[in-house]
Amino acid sequence: MEYLIHIAILISIYGILGLSLNLVVGFTGLLSITQAAFYGIGAYTTAILLTGTGMNFFMAVILGMVISGVCSLAIGFVLSKFKDDYYALGSFGFNVIIYSIFLNWQSLTRGPLGIPGIPRPSMFGFTFSENVWFLVLSVVLLAIIYLVCQFITGSSFGRVLKAIREDEQAISVFGYRTLWYKLAIFVIGAMMASVAGSLFASYITFVDPSSFALTESIFILAIIILGGLANNKGAVIGAVCLILLPEILRFVGFPNDIAAQMRQVTYGVILILLMLYRPQGLVGEYRL
Amino acid sequence: MDIIPQLILNSIIAGAIYSMIALGFNLIYGTTKFFDLGYGALSAVGGYSVFYFYKTLGLDLYVSIVLGILIAGAIGLIVYKSVYSPLRKRKSSGMVLMVAALGVLTALQAIIAILFTSQFQTLSQSVGSERIFNILGGVITQTQLITLLIGLVIMTIIGLVFRYTLFGKAVKAIGDDEEVSKIVGINTEKIVSWVFFFGSAIGGLAGILIGFDTGIEPTMGLSLLLKGVIACVIGGIGNVYGGVLGAFLLAFIENFGIWQISGEWKDAIAFVVLIIFLLFRPQGILKK
Repeated sequence: MEYLIHIAILISIYGILGLSLNLVVGFTGLLSITQAAFYGIGAYTTAILLTGTGMNFFMAVILGMVISGVCSLAIGFVLSKFKDDYYALGSFGFNVIIYSIFLNWQSLTRGPLGIPGIPRPSMFGFTFSENVWFLVLSVVLLAIIYLVCQFITGSSFGRVLKAIREDEQAISVFGYRTLWYKLAIFVIGAMMASVAGSLFASYITFVDPSSFALTESIFILAIIILGGLANNKGAVIGAVCLILLPEILRFVGFPNDIAAQMRQVTYGVILILLMLYRPQGLVGEYRL
Repeated sequence: MDIIPQLILNSIIAGAIYSMIALGFNLIYGTTKFFDLGYGALSAVGGYSVFYFYKTLGLDLYVSIVLGILIAGAIGLIVYKSVYSPLRKRKSSGMVLMVAALGVLTALQAIIAILFTSQFQTLSQSVGSERIFNILGGVITQTQLITLLIGLVIMTIIGLVFRYTLFGKAVKAIGDDEEVSKIVGINTEKIVSWVFFFGSAIGGLAGILIGFDTGIEPTMGLSLLLKGVIACVIGGIGNVYGGVLGAFLLAFIENFGIWQISGEWKDAIAFVVLIIFLLFRPQGILKK
């Protein structure tokens, strides 16, 4: 049972990450491979504030979102100068740079040692120390973010985003400042990813830079590509599939270190097969 | 040992490695116009093939190296035939190809890790007893000197092939306009296949040389490849000499950058350089 709860919590966290990236990649058509950076900023902000100052978890989540938002505004501004392949390459770059900061700003992040002993969230004297209650919290946050995504993508703002994806020039002729729309959605996506980071930090109670490397961004991208781009349900379905799949592999009976590598092989092969045979993913509404 | 000459030598050594990766990558990018990230894993393929033949089976050193280069080339060709070629025939966008390439990279790296474990391995038999040359107060090993020479030789060969042979002209023509090349009777599929074979073989050779110099690990490819890509972007993407120039420039910036700050920042420095170039001189130093 504990095991199932653990899986469900991971699915909620990655569901949030998938939703957040889908706004940028799926709905707006910007191939961003830097989501793990904002995920990490959220996680580190929470870790540092909770262990250092004993601040309330929910305050830390909000502060994490603010910091992620500010960073993503600057990053998004630079990235908005690039197109397609170069956009992806530039976003790679920011992931590596932020990862280096986690690794090297030792006075703040303790570098490769990581930050242990992050407390579980508490609210009005109630602590989410039991995994069941933590699951409830994660699912509630996932639901809120899902609804926000539904609202955004169904609104007129969301329609402009899709128009940017289909033909940026045409929509700017109609007088829309595409730069602001692209920046806005990038910042919103980063803030959501930061929430996932806060959950992760306080669930695992430990953060270190390796959780936020480039491969993590690629994994999040794989989630939404599998689930389906430009579909909020798809992002969650993708998270369910990609989190469950390696667990099934574990039951097949591979030893632990090989199972970890088998996971990577599966992700890789899934990406290749999807691109070859079903570029829109399971329930996607847009192909790259 | 003085610091300045050693820094210069280190830069030249790093530049030699980067320029090999850049040469192979540039060849592939210049012809097919997509960011083949899977190319990174082929250096690991080359390195590990030699590790298997030379250290595990005990074959002759030179035989092992030739086999390693051929295997890297062959796997590059197989990947092209099975993944990229069908996608290119369907006129998939650069982003689809890039995601598929990410899949190739992830899968190949993990397969290598399953076969050979993720441990750091070194290829040279006699660690520490290598011949060392003193130049202007700095130190350079025999392997590093060989790497430098091979890099220059390959650059010259590619330059000559492009200038004087029919094959080189065909490659250039495909890079300019694939459709028109087809119309004038160039067998583009065959030429591009050869490009992938040669490009991958060069990548494999780079991996082998790194294996003799420092060592190999399954995940060595990505950071290596990104350095190669950055070198190409700085120097002028699609330009043979540009890639080499960019590689040495990048190596100098990196090595002198870490003179004052910790060496862990190397990757971040490289990407900052990339982003600066993408912003202010996206066509690179030497335009194609």
